[in-house]
Amino acid sequence: MSLSGVEQKGPLLALKSIEKWFGEVHALRGVTLEVNRGEVVGLIGDNGAGKSTLIKIISGVLRRDRGQIFWKGERVNLRSVPEAQSLGIETVHQDRAVVGMMSVARNIFLGREPTSGFGPFRVLDRQRMARDAEKLLRDLRLHISSVDQEARFCSGGEMQGVAISRAMHFKASLVILDEPTTALAVTGVQTVLSFIRRLKEDHIACIFVTHNLHDVYAVADRFLVMVRGTVAASVRRDEVTVEDLVELQLAGKADSRELPRDTRAAQRVAPGPHADR
Amino acid sequence: MTGTHRSMLQSMQLFIVQNLIWGILTFTFLVFSVLLPNFFTLQNVHFILYVASAIGLLVFAESFVLIGGSMDLSVGHIAGLSSMLVGALTIQWLPFLPGWTGIILIVVVGALLGSVNGFFVGFMEINPFLVTLSTFLMYNWLTYYINRGAISNVSRSLVFPGGGRIGGVFFAIPVMLAICALLGFVLTRTRFGGYVHAVGGNPEAARTLGISLPWMNFWVFTIAGALAGLSGLLYVGYLASIPSTIAGGDDIFLAFAGAIIGGVSLKGGEGSMTGALGGVLLLGIIDTGTAMTLINPALRGFLNGLILLLAILINKYRVELRDRILMSRPAAALGAAA
Repeated sequence: MSLSGVEQKGPLLALKSIEKWFGEVHALRGVTLEVNRGEVVGLIGDNGAGKSTLIKIISGVLRRDRGQIFWKGERVNLRSVPEAQSLGIETVHQDRAVVGMMSVARNIFLGREPTSGFGPFRVLDRQRMARDAEKLLRDLRLHISSVDQEARFCSGGEMQGVAISRAMHFKASLVILDEPTTALAVTGVQTVLSFIRRLKEDHIACIFVTHNLHDVYAVADRFLVMVRGTVAASVRRDEVTVEDLVELQLAGKADSRELPRDTRAAQRVAPGPHADR
Repeated sequence: MTGTHRSMLQSMQLFIVQNLIWGILTFTFLVFSVLLPNFFTLQNVHFILYVASAIGLLVFAESFVLIGGSMDLSVGHIAGLSSMLVGALTIQWLPFLPGWTGIILIVVVGALLGSVNGFFVGFMEINPFLVTLSTFLMYNWLTYYINRGAISNVSRSLVFPGGGRIGGVFFAIPVMLAICALLGFVLTRTRFGGYVHAVGGNPEAARTLGISLPWMNFWVFTIAGALAGLSGLLYVGYLASIPSTIAGGDDIFLAFAGAIIGGVSLKGGEGSMTGALGGVLLLGIIDTGTAMTLINPALRGFLNGLILLLAILINKYRVELRDRILMSRPAAALGAAA
């Protein structure tokens, strides 16, 4: 992180009055938030509160209709995924970002493979890919039998690890995890949580969207609670309990008459498998 | 220690399963050798390779497109139209052109015809089946429009690649093998080849990682077109003339058949050029073998279809078996060794 010496102060990412419409639906009604360097932020809220829309705007998949985005203090456009990646924003989707028929190593470097040779005679540096991939997986303490293994034989948690190691290798400053634990078994959840801790150790900021508060409560520094297209509350973890957060979500829901009934409420309140630290 | 033992047995099983096509190839070859007295000769092997070379390039073109997650119904007629167009150009319309320019022109015209497919599939986002169905018809009837019969006074230099010999060996054979090696290299050792696999295997993932789907489709179809053009060139040499029916008929279906027999998946993202070569050679062996039995040509066509069905069935179980072996691999000690 040599070049960041000058610009260490101020938030990493700042959104100001972001608005987004889908036809008649006003999905985001002026979202303002900040994420600091190395901070782990949990984005919570009911279905339809605007979490995924917001995430898609930050990762470059969707464009905002109104509002400003600041990255390291500078105003940015954020019009496409490659633009977001070039800034250092990596997004990890549950299973969409892995090509099952390709090896784990190839998946980590897909789109940005190291090559040797020059000009039109450049060939893939397969040894380097395998070596770097092994190191990355070891750093993540991910026990995949071989980096040559096809990715489709990985478990859900391992696939997340493959996607997260991309972010680590390409020196992202912000990693967005979209519902990282939803489809995972208990051990998978623990694996993903340890990834998030690893990102934090490397001073990489992280925003994760989740339904399952109990799973992720322990790793977050801060929670942003979204209610009907706005950020209703920003609370530090040491100021709240899981029960408080559940209540905050429910309070937002009680207010909203236009939102459909949430059928996942039962699942959300059910206690998670882990004990708080 | 049982872990390493099992994994060695499994490595052997995996090797057999992944190279099954070569086993089938050998078996088929031996069966014909037993049935037909003149089959197991160097001369006949030479002939099988020669017969396989022109259709081989069509199989490679189709395999490339299939691995990239699309399909191309028009490769046969690209071969036909590019050779007919260039034949008419160099012989009838612009006879002052030196003959060798035709060799380059055929490939260039093939690439252009393929790029039309690539443009509509990639940038207009139209289903590849529909796009290439349209160009299949267009290219076919354009070939007839240029010449309803055949161009027979083809220049020597245009005939040489597909009909000439070097040191007794048909030149078309090393052409086919070299193209196969080149494509295999591109697919396994370059970024571009990796993106072909990625776009075919999971386009959504490829897109989120910044790979351009429109451009990838454009280039995949353009390359397939160039290969089809080259195939047309070999057909011209093979026939020593350019009939309007060149590379027509069953050829497009044999291109699919060869690819699929060789283990290329219709679902995209899976397949190899060595497999495709195996598919080509198997087609060549069966074609030559059945021709030598002097059975009714109509029955030979029927047999081709039957063999394709059999190959699909074998492949289905091959893939299932392969997955089972790969999945049951004991977790080796990447983490533990660290």
